[in-house]
Amino acid sequence: MSDLEVLTQQLIIGLSNGMIIALIALGYTMVFGIVELINFAHGDLFMLGCFLALSIVGGVTGALGEAILPGSAVSILSIALMFIVVPFFCGALNWCVDRYAYRALRNAPKLAPLVSALGVSFVFINLGLFWGGLPFKVFGYGNAAAAPKDFPNLLPSQNLLANTPIFITWREVLVFLITIPLLVALNYLIKKTRLGCAMRATAQNKDAARLMGINIESVIGTTFIIGGALAGVASVVYALTYNTVFFQMGFRVGVDAFTAAVLGGIGNLPGACLGGLVVGLLRALSDQYIATQWTNSVVFAVLILILIFKPSGLLGARVREKV
Amino acid sequence: MKGSIFSTIFLSVLFSRAKASPLAVLLIISLLPLLFELIFPGHGICERLRPILIFAILGLGLNIVTGNCGLLNLGVAGFMAIGAYTFGILTVPIFPFQINAWLGLLASLIAGAAAGFVLGLPTLRLRGDYLAVVTLGFGEIIQDVIRNLDTITKGSQGLNPLPALSILGVELNNSHPSLSYFSLLIIIFIIVLLLRNLNKSPVGRAWSAVRDDELAAGNMGVPVMRTKLYAFTSGAALSSLAGALWASALGSTGEPGNFDFQLSVTALCIVIVGGLGNLAGVLLGAAVIVGFNSVFLVELSQFLNSAGLSGTQNVLATPANWKFLVLGLVLILMMRLAPRGLIPALKGSSSK
Amino acid sequence: MLKVKNLSLRFGGLTAVSDVSFCVEEGETFAVIGPNGAGKTSLFNAISGVYRPTAGEVLIAGSKSRLPFTMSTVLTVFVSALLTGCAAVLILNLTALWDAVIINKFIYDAAFDWVDCFWGSVAYFSAQNTSFMALPFLSGSIVGGLAALKIFSSTRVGPEVCCSFGLTRTFQNVRLFKDLSALDNVLIGLQNGRGLNFFSSLFHLPSLRKQEAANYKKALELLALVGLGLDAERLATQLPYGSQRKLEIARALACNPKVLLLDEPAAGMNTTEKLALVAIIKRIGALVTVILIEHDMQVVMGIANRILVLDYGSQIALGTPAEICVNQAVINAYLGTSSEVASV
Repeated sequence: MSDLEVLTQQLIIGLSNGMIIALIALGYTMVFGIVELINFAHGDLFMLGCFLALSIVGGVTGALGEAILPGSAVSILSIALMFIVVPFFCGALNWCVDRYAYRALRNAPKLAPLVSALGVSFVFINLGLFWGGLPFKVFGYGNAAAAPKDFPNLLPSQNLLANTPIFITWREVLVFLITIPLLVALNYLIKKTRLGCAMRATAQNKDAARLMGINIESVIGTTFIIGGALAGVASVVYALTYNTVFFQMGFRVGVDAFTAAVLGGIGNLPGACLGGLVVGLLRALSDQYIATQWTNSVVFAVLILILIFKPSGLLGARVREKV
Repeated sequence: MKGSIFSTIFLSVLFSRAKASPLAVLLIISLLPLLFELIFPGHGICERLRPILIFAILGLGLNIVTGNCGLLNLGVAGFMAIGAYTFGILTVPIFPFQINAWLGLLASLIAGAAAGFVLGLPTLRLRGDYLAVVTLGFGEIIQDVIRNLDTITKGSQGLNPLPALSILGVELNNSHPSLSYFSLLIIIFIIVLLLRNLNKSPVGRAWSAVRDDELAAGNMGVPVMRTKLYAFTSGAALSSLAGALWASALGSTGEPGNFDFQLSVTALCIVIVGGLGNLAGVLLGAAVIVGFNSVFLVELSQFLNSAGLSGTQNVLATPANWKFLVLGLVLILMMRLAPRGLIPALKGSSSK
Repeated sequence: MLKVKNLSLRFGGLTAVSDVSFCVEEGETFAVIGPNGAGKTSLFNAISGVYRPTAGEVLIAGSKSRLPFTMSTVLTVFVSALLTGCAAVLILNLTALWDAVIINKFIYDAAFDWVDCFWGSVAYFSAQNTSFMALPFLSGSIVGGLAALKIFSSTRVGPEVCCSFGLTRTFQNVRLFKDLSALDNVLIGLQNGRGLNFFSSLFHLPSLRKQEAANYKKALELLALVGLGLDAERLATQLPYGSQRKLEIARALACNPKVLLLDEPAAGMNTTEKLALVAIIKRIGALVTVILIEHDMQVVMGIANRILVLDYGSQIALGTPAEICVNQAVINAYLGTSSEVASV
């Protein structure tokens, strides 16, 4: 492959990874914008979504009695099933977490919800560990709960750009096919619907929103549901693309998404998308041109540099304290 | 071991009612294992409780930054690693430096302070949440650096053998567990004294002011940036010291994977469970959290093993697998029920 | 003492303060009044460095309240750039340098020769291609220099700078240090005349103890001045609201200011408390220049030498209390013009 082709390939990989990161970053930033909380448990919610996806596939395989063929009707149906069930599950779980762990802490000192989020994150990690130890075939019959699990290949892996050295498979296409309409829909929701208006109002000034008759708790709950659902979508896409599920994967992906959200300016939705793409591209380019073992450091070093020169993130507004 | 857990819970209830200074009581309690070791040697009690003391120092360092000054630092593990590896590089026989172990401690202290200064200078003006991500990133960067520069750090093998601290020829490590425990206790005592000095001084007041209201503090002439740097640098120095002491007592830096985000979170939990800004609380927090992780769970596993109840077949039967769940639930419940920590902070004028 | 020239403050599309100019003489007690939302607190925020004015300037005791670019600044930026550049080169060459100097030259159990190490490093770097080192050095220096510049520029203005030039204030919503006692709150103001010294605090050196004892006495005096002498040890949040406001004034006074800004000091007080407050402000007015925002006209008329009236961010009148009382524009602003009244 020529240099340009290598670069293009890396750009494609970077963009598609970036979109997955962006989906998760959106969940972080939406929740932050409305309750000023860094939801540490978000990455682990994503991980649980992946486990659910794996369970669904396991269930389908078990019911059929044979492995699913990539590209067959069954695989398409399974994928569709996952895209319906997993976001629903993640959204509902996120709502529960807010209702039972964070809601009581709305007026608590600032570190309290943060620590609570850490606690929820730990609970999720442990749930993932237990889930992976369940005695089903898809989890390896519970023999090694902590080991990474293989996610079966459901997408055909042939190169859609046949005869060129650049690889675009159904995996990359799926990422773009799912995330772009979702982002457009989200944008429409935030800008053009009453709910979106209520969300923006609550994010800007809770008391005024309350006075205008907006039910704050219901808006916050909805935000958590949407954020969770986005993470759920991301988890299905990730599982289909990377074919591995591991109970500690939430940390790595969560940190990337968190970095992306901050990079773009936390609380800022286009910023989260931009941040996700930047982080994805940085990782791909660093993997190729520097070294895989330095990629994490490169991403953070770039983040620190950007924050030195633009303290509120790339698209973030300077938050003026009310005096 | 269950006795020490019960007594810590009992004590925390006691402190909330008693007028006795919790610090003094805690320090006296911590002499008890020493007594136990001297009377019943061979049970390895001092050795097993040593992690609590090291984490107490780590917690004291983080307490300055997060508890006193209100800056969330999620990268404490990075500073601990810097301390451990500075000590390692300067004292290990495979490199030519091979300085005295005490000098190695001093060097780690300075290295940690320098790292804290360099990281803090451009980043302490960031908002609290952004600073949290930056410190998290710092921890990750340090871990990567240690893992990747393996000609210097020997990568995942770690640097060993490392010399132990010695006083008059007596080595302070597992060959003399009670002396090692006692010397750590002395170090903690000195650190606590110095920190109390700071809390009752203009610097300590400035830290509280910056934590409470940075804007008003600036308007009253508090040099906000310098105050934050003092906190960050000294916190980093203490964390590095903890790392160096850890490496020295163990005789090795251990592998880089030990200094990960989980370590930083454990330190944060110690500070929060004990009560932010509260010196006695940090010590109690270390006892509770590290005691649970390193002592209680280990004992329980051994007990279940010997009773033939565990096995790798059932993921639920291994106590170590419940670690995250219990810690997580404790954190969630603590924030609902006692957000200010186990020992309610004794507020009052610092000029007393 | 304080000169404000053509000050404007805009937040995006909203103009909070528009082209305000006035002068306050030394020892004067100056009041700023106006209907709600007239921009009074925004004016204070712009003067005290909380927000950067969009236009205009503020002169405190004759000097602009910003730290100037001195030679030492330039030197610091230059040195930072140099250090970052060197660091960049060092980092990129670290493993190779280590191999060359430490590993290859080290004989087990032999003593370490620092001089040899130094000359070894020199030899290593001179053997390198200069253009190979130039790129990291240049990019490192540029980043370091720009970062130093950015950090410095963010410290040139702000609340701390204003305080160092002799201006301090109280706040519309009481902003005391909640976890400190009343005495500690005042001590914060007192201790900053001398910069904070970490080591003397760490070891409680005798010089610190003397300083603390002196500050302690002074703090008690200030608390007595505002009538809080008996509440010194109480936590700031435990004080009743009126006392909290008075504590804020004591804290601001502790900074030894030349100009003191009081933002609605009488808000939420009853008549007796207001009378006490007026007495306090008169006593303070003899020591420093006072500028206050206030809604209660009796308080204002009793103590102000001159009054500035704002409405919708612009200044509509400036003069003595007698002049303001009869000023038509002021009356219109507060009571509405006859056409507005008629349409109600």
